[in-house]
Amino acid sequence: MAYTLRGRIDSRLGAVLAPLAAACALALVLHVWWPIELAALMVFVGLALDVFVYHRSLPYQPSWAAVPLGLLELGIVMGVAQPLNVDAPLGAALVFYAGAWLLAQALGHAVFPLARLSYGDDGGELGRVGPAAGAAALVLLAAAGGVAWATQPPVVRLAAGVHDGPLVIDTPQRLYGEPGAVVRGGIVVTADDVTVRDVTVLGGVHGIDVQEAERVLLDRVTVLGAQRDGIHVRRSAVAIRDCAIRGSTGTHAQGIDISFGFDLAPSTVEGCTVIGGMEGIVTHFAHVRVRDNRVIGTTLRAITLTEMSMGDVEENEVENALGVGIFCGDYSHCRIARNSVTGTRPDTESGDRTRMGFGIVSHYGAAATVTDNSLQGNASPIGSFLRARISPE
Amino acid sequence: MPEPCAIVGGGLAGFTAFATLRKGGLSPAEIVVFGTDPDPAAAWRVRAAAIRQRVMRSESDGHCGPTSFPGLAVRAARRGRSLLPLVQSACDRYHPTVAEFLEHVEELRANTGWDQSFRPHRIRRVRSVEGGFELDGAGPFRHVLLAPGHPGLAFPEELHGDPRVVHAYEPHEYAGEVEIVGAGMAAATEWLNALAAGSSVVSVRRREPERRPLNLPRELFTRRGLAAYHRSEPAERVSLLRRLGVPSFPAGRAWDAPIERALRDGRFSVAPEPNGAPQIICATGFERGYRHDPLLAGLVDEHCLETAEEWIQLAPDSTVPALTRAGRTLAIAGAPAQWAFPAADTLVGAKYAARGLLRRIHAWRTR
Repeated sequence: MAYTLRGRIDSRLGAVLAPLAAACALALVLHVWWPIELAALMVFVGLALDVFVYHRSLPYQPSWAAVPLGLLELGIVMGVAQPLNVDAPLGAALVFYAGAWLLAQALGHAVFPLARLSYGDDGGELGRVGPAAGAAALVLLAAAGGVAWATQPPVVRLAAGVHDGPLVIDTPQRLYGEPGAVVRGGIVVTADDVTVRDVTVLGGVHGIDVQEAERVLLDRVTVLGAQRDGIHVRRSAVAIRDCAIRGSTGTHAQGIDISFGFDLAPSTVEGCTVIGGMEGIVTHFAHVRVRDNRVIGTTLRAITLTEMSMGDVEENEVENALGVGIFCGDYSHCRIARNSVTGTRPDTESGDRTRMGFGIVSHYGAAATVTDNSLQGNASPIGSFLRARISPE
Repeated sequence: MPEPCAIVGGGLAGFTAFATLRKGGLSPAEIVVFGTDPDPAAAWRVRAAAIRQRVMRSESDGHCGPTSFPGLAVRAARRGRSLLPLVQSACDRYHPTVAEFLEHVEELRANTGWDQSFRPHRIRRVRSVEGGFELDGAGPFRHVLLAPGHPGLAFPEELHGDPRVVHAYEPHEYAGEVEIVGAGMAAATEWLNALAAGSSVVSVRRREPERRPLNLPRELFTRRGLAAYHRSEPAERVSLLRRLGVPSFPAGRAWDAPIERALRDGRFSVAPEPNGAPQIICATGFERGYRHDPLLAGLVDEHCLETAEEWIQLAPDSTVPALTRAGRTLAIAGAPAQWAFPAADTLVGAKYAARGLLRRIHAWRTR
């Protein structure tokens, strides 16, 4: 087809109406915004390419070009989604994109030509339907955007300086710290849809305590000197990104503990640095992805998935742990891949043969698959105990 | 009361236009088709057989149906239970066979009610009258589409009357030595035919043929290219139409490999003039210009229509401006409609003209 510019825009807007409507429906059903954000991103990326690239460089577009152009648009959408914080699960997002692409092909090659006799002659223009489709797409996006704006949690800015805590967040909100914002005595989150960003927490029983809350994002938080856990999560679904935890004071202090939320949406811990404590990152009966973190100098285990947890432990760096580097225990299912575990020391004082400086341990009925891990300078590389399984992927 | 609509010409252009009007909501009773043979492919079939054409130059949407979907690739995929035609079509590599195309014409003929509308009569005169147009005294018809087809086979002046001459589109066999005049699709087909029959071939041509997948650049099939074309001044448009009219045939090994082999074997050569071979095949296409068609020549003379050299000046929607106004339309389809649509001599061109007519019919009906 040799599209006119208007033909490209008409055809694109005509084809995105159904995915946009589907995205709105999905958002309503799932109570998440990513389908609408993703659909809007797809529309804007596509329109920008139509106007600035395709129209000039493709006077004639053969049908096969839909495949590479679709992949190009997918790449750009994925590239832009991350910095714009579109929190779409990859698999679902790909399915959504693929469905929208297939629908667009069916419409462009079959439905539009059947519905409008001169579709080909007109270079993809849809006549009066084109502007109507554009208006409908705009209305849908505006309506979704309006609802999103109206229901967005308010933004609370925490000024620089030390604020006495504990700070209790029991309504949806976004707490953004100005540079130098510090809360002394901990933060407690009990509401859904909470974001805490750029805040440093000093002391407290737990640095940040999340209780029975979903869609909680802890982004670029620093916890110093908590008495027990740096971040303590119970029956909640959280995303923890780029955090730093150190200087915990209690003998049983842990860096991050996410527990008892297996029936909730999966939680993630990414890009965090945990120094010291008994356990660095630990989960009990939870569904968690632990990725790209650095855990140093723990006294029990660096990363633990236990008590029927399930999750991925990927691309983490574990250094100088005592006893065990990465632990998959108690009927948990763990996928342990591309981690680096170095310098794990034997805990001879414990007398426990499962703690003799193992890089990776599978324990008590757990099933661990291991792939491409780098295990250097550990007393023992891998161990499996008490009917646990450990196998290559 | 004028009858609603008439098509003058029962060939593939008229047939394709008829199918488009039917899709646009007109019943067979509202359309009268005047032609000489009820088989819309009759003339084309003879020509295709004469040049032993087996595969169409056109692609999946080069069919007589009113919409591009489902094209002939979809039809072939369904019948052959194979996705290959669809993949080929996506890569612009699907070319239906002549047999498939003719089967499709037969099916469409039966499905559209063509035979109900067909009247065996060659129209010789179109006259503008109150409320429409009279066709050899029949009518009047409010909306008329002229699809007279090609006026006749073209022969080079210097070969008129030469007993060795046969036109490529006339039934013929091949002598041991053949001179083939022309450099377009028919000529290229005849080179391969004659070589396959064991003949030595001299390609008589004065210019190197252009190599293009279709007979025109693809942009000129849609508004993208047509918008600028329609804005062009008459002199500019004439010049462009002349440039586009140079002979061409598709690139590809299927065309080149047999020629290269024959060149190596000394069985293929190029010459600027015929030079005494026992058989001369003129692959020189058709007469060009409205003057060669008595119906169109009469129409122009009788109604003082505007022309530019060999073309009748048409509006962008293929209608004749001087004779078209609210409630009555005279449009032209097929080769004589190039002023409105450069690829008018294709099936896509026939649909283009029919859609222009259809818009006017609908506009009139909704008043």
